[in-house]
Amino acid sequence: MEQALELVGLTKVFGEQRAVDGVSLTVPAGSFFGVLGPNGAGKTTSLSMAVGLLRPDGGTARIFGVDVWREPTRAKALVGVLPDGLGMPERLTGREVLTYLGLLRGLPEDEVKTRAGELLEVLELDHEDDKQVIGYSTGMRKKLGLAVALLHAPRLLVLDEPFEAVDPVSAATIRTILHRFVAGGGSVVMSSHVMALVEQLCDRVAVVADGKVVAAGTVAEVQAGGSLEDAFVSLVGASTRGAEGLTWLSH
Amino acid sequence: MAFALTYGTSRTLVRMRLAAFRHALEDQFRRSWIVTGGFVGLALAGGTLWVAARGDHDTLVVVLGLWMLGWVVGPLFAGGGDETLKPEYFTMIPLPPRTLSTGLLVAALAGVAPAISLIALLSLVVASGGVVAGLVAVPALVLQLLCFVLASRLAVAVYGVLLQVRAGAVIAALVNAFILAFAAQGWALIVAFVSTDVQGAFATAARIAPSGWGLVAVESAGRGEWLQAVGLLLGLAVLALAMLVAWSALLVRRTTVSLTGRKPRRVLAARSPEGAAAAKELRSWTRDLLYGHRAVFAIAYGLFFCLMPLAIGVKSMLPWAGPAAVVMAGSMAANLYGADGTAFWTTLMTPGSSRPDVRARQRAFLLVFGPSTLLITLVLTWWSGVTSAWPLVLSVLPALLGGAAGLVVACSVYAAVPTTDAHKRSGNPLNSGENEGETMGIVYVMLVLVATTCAPALVVALYTGWWGVPVGVASGVLAWWYFGRVAARRLDVRGPELLTLLRHGRSPAEQAKKTAGLDALPRWRRTLAGFCLGFGAIPLFPQALVPAIFKLTGNDDTKSWFLALYQDGLWQWVVIAVMAALGLSMYGFGGLTYYRARKRAPGVSVVAAAE
Repeated sequence: MEQALELVGLTKVFGEQRAVDGVSLTVPAGSFFGVLGPNGAGKTTSLSMAVGLLRPDGGTARIFGVDVWREPTRAKALVGVLPDGLGMPERLTGREVLTYLGLLRGLPEDEVKTRAGELLEVLELDHEDDKQVIGYSTGMRKKLGLAVALLHAPRLLVLDEPFEAVDPVSAATIRTILHRFVAGGGSVVMSSHVMALVEQLCDRVAVVADGKVVAAGTVAEVQAGGSLEDAFVSLVGASTRGAEGLTWLSH
Repeated sequence: MAFALTYGTSRTLVRMRLAAFRHALEDQFRRSWIVTGGFVGLALAGGTLWVAARGDHDTLVVVLGLWMLGWVVGPLFAGGGDETLKPEYFTMIPLPPRTLSTGLLVAALAGVAPAISLIALLSLVVASGGVVAGLVAVPALVLQLLCFVLASRLAVAVYGVLLQVRAGAVIAALVNAFILAFAAQGWALIVAFVSTDVQGAFATAARIAPSGWGLVAVESAGRGEWLQAVGLLLGLAVLALAMLVAWSALLVRRTTVSLTGRKPRRVLAARSPEGAAAAKELRSWTRDLLYGHRAVFAIAYGLFFCLMPLAIGVKSMLPWAGPAAVVMAGSMAANLYGADGTAFWTTLMTPGSSRPDVRARQRAFLLVFGPSTLLITLVLTWWSGVTSAWPLVLSVLPALLGGAAGLVVACSVYAAVPTTDAHKRSGNPLNSGENEGETMGIVYVMLVLVATTCAPALVVALYTGWWGVPVGVASGVLAWWYFGRVAARRLDVRGPELLTLLRHGRSPAEQAKKTAGLDALPRWRRTLAGFCLGFGAIPLFPQALVPAIFKLTGNDDTKSWFLALYQDGLWQWVVIAVMAALGLSMYGFGGLTYYRARKRAPGVSVVAAAE
């Protein structure tokens, strides 16, 4: 089976800390893949290295067999990325961002215009057409980022927390778009904290903790009979707290 | 109660500030900036004390005026002044605005710059000359210091308000350009007016300005004019209070008014990758008020700098307004990628977009500064009537434009200074990160580098006249093309590292790598290299280039501090040549030392292998 994304021993060291420690994963083509992990587990760092945004200290990543770090130009043509917490060209409107990035990718002008218009409409960004990105809310930024990722019709989408700060209606829209994308032969890799969402959307998951993959497989395999949330909590070796102490909070 | 609250708040804020300062000192890179700045400041403070010790009160009052000027104008260049504690951090804490602003003021006093200013202000005690006047000097210097810091904070707040509207941004740019050009051209005025009483006039003006009130109070006390002494001290206190109230009001505004972009006026057409990149960049210049502010500042600075000598009938500077504007523009636009922040990922993830992106930035720079400076040069050179200047300026201008267009992108890529992303910035539009020292250093380095790019054209024009023009055009095109290519290649190869820098700043580990080679050198060699880089400009520019220009334009009757002009005939050229050689070799030695040290650094070889 063809692999949409392969991570091979990805490693990143920040100072003394091994933020990502030999992460290897394979995402089969056509799958909807969820990456789970607690805060600071190395999800964003791994995904950044997987798509060419952060140079790994060791290991590499391949998108449909193309090495991201040897042939970045070829690899980047195959993938659409929604990074988490990165800026946008602030002084442009959403439509301008899409238009220019589409033209920079070499799409013909008419095509860019059509696609940008449709994306803005579907994601309900079109009524804010004269607003510069600097005035966007966090959720609008996410939606625009998703539009940027989809614009060139990539074969693989890598989305870092795509549902964060997005309102429920838009979230439903995004879910529909992503389902259609997978049904049409695309592959999606998505990181999230929201277990229910991952359970509902993804067919495969990997759990990352302390920079290592602690479990990977189909959702059923990782769940091992219980709920994904229980599996997650036991896998990352944490116990939920909050029942003890904090007595001063009661009135 | 209110006092106790203010005291408690101030105490906590000072502790916060000192904690942040301790962390800054742990960071080798920031520490080196702080130490360098501290030494320069101490040297200046020492100079002020020396002036006071000589008893030259006329000079002292002007010097104190310059200190205050530094406090007011400095933040414009140093990224909005020190804002370790941003007022935004405390918006949700239930504190009355004046308690908060008083606390922030007290915290602002707990820093290196106020400490150095305090040392400089001890000159009031030195100048007092007696026990009684000395007693007046103590409250005077405390109030004076408060006024310095408050004026600085208030100025930043006023810039903040002005920079929210286009007209305000333009006004702020014009005022700053005027003040700075005046500070730079002061020597020309003094030299030209040395027979009349300009120095006296400066001193009188500086005594009227608030920066002089403390000294005048001390002088009055020395003469036994108690009423005036007390009145001036009260005046300082009232001024400080008024500034505190105004600043509090502006802080409330800053933390409660949201900053969003205005409606764009028109959409530029773009049809190709190159066009798209160019349209994107041009919008930054037209929509981002900070860009516009800098553009107006650079052009106005060039104009004021060369128009001021008109006051004394000197027209020979007029042709140089355009070139001066280009040099200033280049140094102000040296952090294009840093200013865009992590939005760089959109370029990084778009295959093949590095080259169009770099070229677009160059094109936008040339569109903004090319036609305007050319027009200024043509009109002012014609007006000056200095016909011998035509081949010189027309050679130098294209060389500088091309050189600046090349160097801004190269510097933006190689020496990017991370800034806070635009959508996460505080209400201070000048403050875009915590790298004031670095930003300032790059401005200075770029002033020198951009100016150097006109050297070949200038030399040829000086010897052969009009042949300089093709040389200038060729060197400009070459610099534009070559530096642009270097920058685009660097983006292709090291784009991810640039994004990491813009995203996370410089991690301690990377800094250790960066300075490891340097640390291996003996201390004297490091110090000498730093000294050479810092002061190489003095022999090269004011002692070689400027007198050379003066001689060639026949304007060598003003000797000022130009050593060469005090010699006779051929010896003038000998001194100029020696000074130029000295300056160049200082740069050569310093640059080579740093370059070799970086090559030897162990971390660099690892990175090089990864390429």
